[in-house]
Amino acid sequence: MQTTASSSLSAAQQTASVRMPGPARHYGRALYLTINIAILVFLLAPIAIVVVFALNPTPFIQFPPVGVSLRWFEKFFASRDFMHALWFSLEVAVLTTASATILGASAALALARGNLPGTRLIVATMLSPLMLPAILTGLALFQTYVLLDVGRPTWGLVAGHTLVTLPYVVRTTLAVLHNFDTRLEEAAQNLGASPLRTFFELTLPLIKPGVLAGAIFAFIVSFDQFPVSLFLVSPGNETLPVTLFNYLKFDLDGTIGAASVVSIVLAFVVVIGLDRTVGLRSYVKL
Amino acid sequence: MSSTATTRPNGLALFILPSALLFGLFFFLPIGLMAVMSVLTGNPVVMPKVAFTTRHYARMIGDPYYLEVIWTTIRIGLVTTLVALAIGYPLAHWMARIKSRTGHALLLMAVLAPMLTGIVVRTFAWMTLLSDKGVINETLIALGLISQPLKLMYTETGIVVGLVHIYVPFMVLTLTGVIGRIDERLEQAAENLGASPLRAFIEVTLPLSLPGILAGSLLVFALAISAYVTPILLGGFQIMTLPILIYQQISANFNVGFAAALGIVLLMISLLLVIAYNRALRLVSGQRELQ
Amino acid sequence: MMKALGPLSRRRFLTASASLGIGTIAAPYVARADDPTLRITGWGGKWGEVMKAEIGPAFESEFKCKLQTDSAFPYLPKLQASSRSAPIYDVLHTNSNEQWAAAEMGLVEPKIDPKLVPNLADVYPYAISDKIVGVSIFTSAIGLGMRTDKGYSGVTSWKELWDAKYNGVRGGYVIPVNSLGQAFLMMCGTLFGKGQTDLDAAYTALEKLKPIKIVDFTGAMEKMLLSGEVGMCVIHDSGIYRYDGQNQPTDFVSPSEGVLSLEQVLTITPGSKMKELANAYVNYMLRPEVQKRLAETVWYSPANKKVKLDAKYDAKLLTTPEKVSKLIQVDWKWYNERKDEIDQRVNRIFRA
Repeated sequence: MQTTASSSLSAAQQTASVRMPGPARHYGRALYLTINIAILVFLLAPIAIVVVFALNPTPFIQFPPVGVSLRWFEKFFASRDFMHALWFSLEVAVLTTASATILGASAALALARGNLPGTRLIVATMLSPLMLPAILTGLALFQTYVLLDVGRPTWGLVAGHTLVTLPYVVRTTLAVLHNFDTRLEEAAQNLGASPLRTFFELTLPLIKPGVLAGAIFAFIVSFDQFPVSLFLVSPGNETLPVTLFNYLKFDLDGTIGAASVVSIVLAFVVVIGLDRTVGLRSYVKL
Repeated sequence: MSSTATTRPNGLALFILPSALLFGLFFFLPIGLMAVMSVLTGNPVVMPKVAFTTRHYARMIGDPYYLEVIWTTIRIGLVTTLVALAIGYPLAHWMARIKSRTGHALLLMAVLAPMLTGIVVRTFAWMTLLSDKGVINETLIALGLISQPLKLMYTETGIVVGLVHIYVPFMVLTLTGVIGRIDERLEQAAENLGASPLRAFIEVTLPLSLPGILAGSLLVFALAISAYVTPILLGGFQIMTLPILIYQQISANFNVGFAAALGIVLLMISLLLVIAYNRALRLVSGQRELQ
Repeated sequence: MMKALGPLSRRRFLTASASLGIGTIAAPYVARADDPTLRITGWGGKWGEVMKAEIGPAFESEFKCKLQTDSAFPYLPKLQASSRSAPIYDVLHTNSNEQWAAAEMGLVEPKIDPKLVPNLADVYPYAISDKIVGVSIFTSAIGLGMRTDKGYSGVTSWKELWDAKYNGVRGGYVIPVNSLGQAFLMMCGTLFGKGQTDLDAAYTALEKLKPIKIVDFTGAMEKMLLSGEVGMCVIHDSGIYRYDGQNQPTDFVSPSEGVLSLEQVLTITPGSKMKELANAYVNYMLRPEVQKRLAETVWYSPANKKVKLDAKYDAKLLTTPEKVSKLIQVDWKWYNERKDEIDQRVNRIFRA
């Protein structure tokens, strides 16, 4: 019997509405949820440990915890080094996100629509900073800065961060562009819009979720970036991960837990803010 | 993705220029410098007399220890990727299919939380969990299930656990987009044509999510083989991977040439992988007419 | 009325904020142009705290300069990558093994001029011995650290570490990256072989030391001892004594075969443009008051003979000629020449 895809779909949908779920379905569903909950526990357990450690008064790893104390938070906020590092990390992350997003999204556009020769090779090249151990990238950049006699300026650090976060923006933007229905653009132009207008009023808003997902990646990766920063920070201008790492060498106490809790909260504010305003959800469905 | 080889570049192509400039100055130049240093006896920037040498590479080939290190690195990368995939897929599927907006937001937060903790602290948290006097051992001993602590730290397993924890979010976020784009009605159609939910999943959803699986796996593998903070903190230098060796050579042996050579090897491994990935992707895309 | 003032006040506002902005950006440069900056390295933790709070500012105000401290270890790769004529540090503060490596690479001056650093005349012989490049401003004794609540008794020798009862709670260092571990390796040669340079004896001894938990930095070892993860370990006296007053169940043992010396060494870079200030800094760090304050904060033994420490510190640290004469200094020049092959061997010994 010849049926078109759509009619068989609707037939299937009709059947679906009258089918009763059997016991196997229940177990399947229960298993699915159990597995996922277990995975969530795995993901969140270390975070819980960090929070516990941030509140435990003893100055070293100890389980079970002996109490609740805010002394590490006090120490963290009272420390000029940590506060400066926190703000500096935020500053660098914002600058990095801005540059990675602009450069990455435009590169993705060029790659998806620009008919460049050797597109696949260029894409691979753009993704390659992820492949190289960041410690080498950091050292190589430091060496280059010495060669160019520029010292270790903040823009140098931002450039290094942009390099290692740009691939994420390119990836997500390309993903969205590849799934883009170009007929929409054709339709717009058929209705009289110029290519430029189509681009700004149709294409750009539709790829925005993908670009934003990449931007969020860029922010998180930059805020957390360690190996490249290790070589490119200068005394007095250190990012939080570097400061934490150095601190860890001498003092393994709850201050790092406090630092991490503060970072999580801060970053959540950013992510939730973005989700509210732009709606990351739509990225999933595009 | 039809062939674009025959059409000429248009105005949009110019948008690649800023990135090209960034890469030129901040990637190719430094990496080129590293590649050059890997075949010199010293650092040409600061030393007056340097000569060409292949001894850094010869050292690697000459000693089976280095091949072992390379293999350990790749092995940890593979295991991490597979486990991250096994763990990340169910979560990505749930996140893609969940109906409530709050639920999605909560899941997103849960997935992002490990990434936001910061690499140093996160690894340190795993040390708290896995060490002999750590949470897991103390709990198991208290429950009477074991009498001696389990050796969880300083093992490859410990490193894999730590790495998986860091990279699962990357896998999930890559997969969830792809899975989300799969039309649910296709799965429903399969089920109503007689397939069990499991079969529908295996024969419809899984194949359609293959590009996402490949992309996520590539990303996680590349990140896993270049990680060094987590392997050092959880493996205590007793498990030697290429990045740890590179770190050791730079920070304790001041042997930049050898470190550069090791780095180039690591880069080559990754590039081979990208080529393999592209091949696989072409195969997969070619077979799929649906989309 | 506001409207009439509108464009004018807006322009004025803009120019005002622009100049304020430029001023803010330029201010650091302007300030730096006035005060010469001395770039040094320094540890974090308690050392860093007291340097930042007291010692540093005191030096800055006395010598009218700014002190810029890099505490992001490792320092040597960065110094190595910077140009000889414009090194990123003026004074390098690190352990003796690294100073020797730096001297071999021509990154630091091997000898400090006593005419420019007069306090050199007051230091113990070990601080400027032929086993030191630059000058050692402090030292610590490397020996054994142990838990006092596990019933370990009669610990007097290094060889105790090899006893099977410590299996599972033995602690050591990652030899390729840690100088205590490296010094300990040479000690193994002395204990079980013909001397510091008997590598074969050392390798055999290290093989027998397993199982052992190894860490790369002393801070980590301190914490493992405190949490009970480790019960007997190689550690410097400072790592135990600095928890004095906290009632920790740990103690330091000076083994009968002798303690190794872990020196804090200062050197000056040849390309430094601040030689006068650099020498002043080295001299300053050797002043009795400065030495006393730092020694009592982190429990280092001061190199200056004239330092009078408070009783409780004096009792435990190395503050007399007899005590310091027992320090064993190792031959870093010899070790560094062989470091690559030693590392290769040791990496293999300790792999899981």
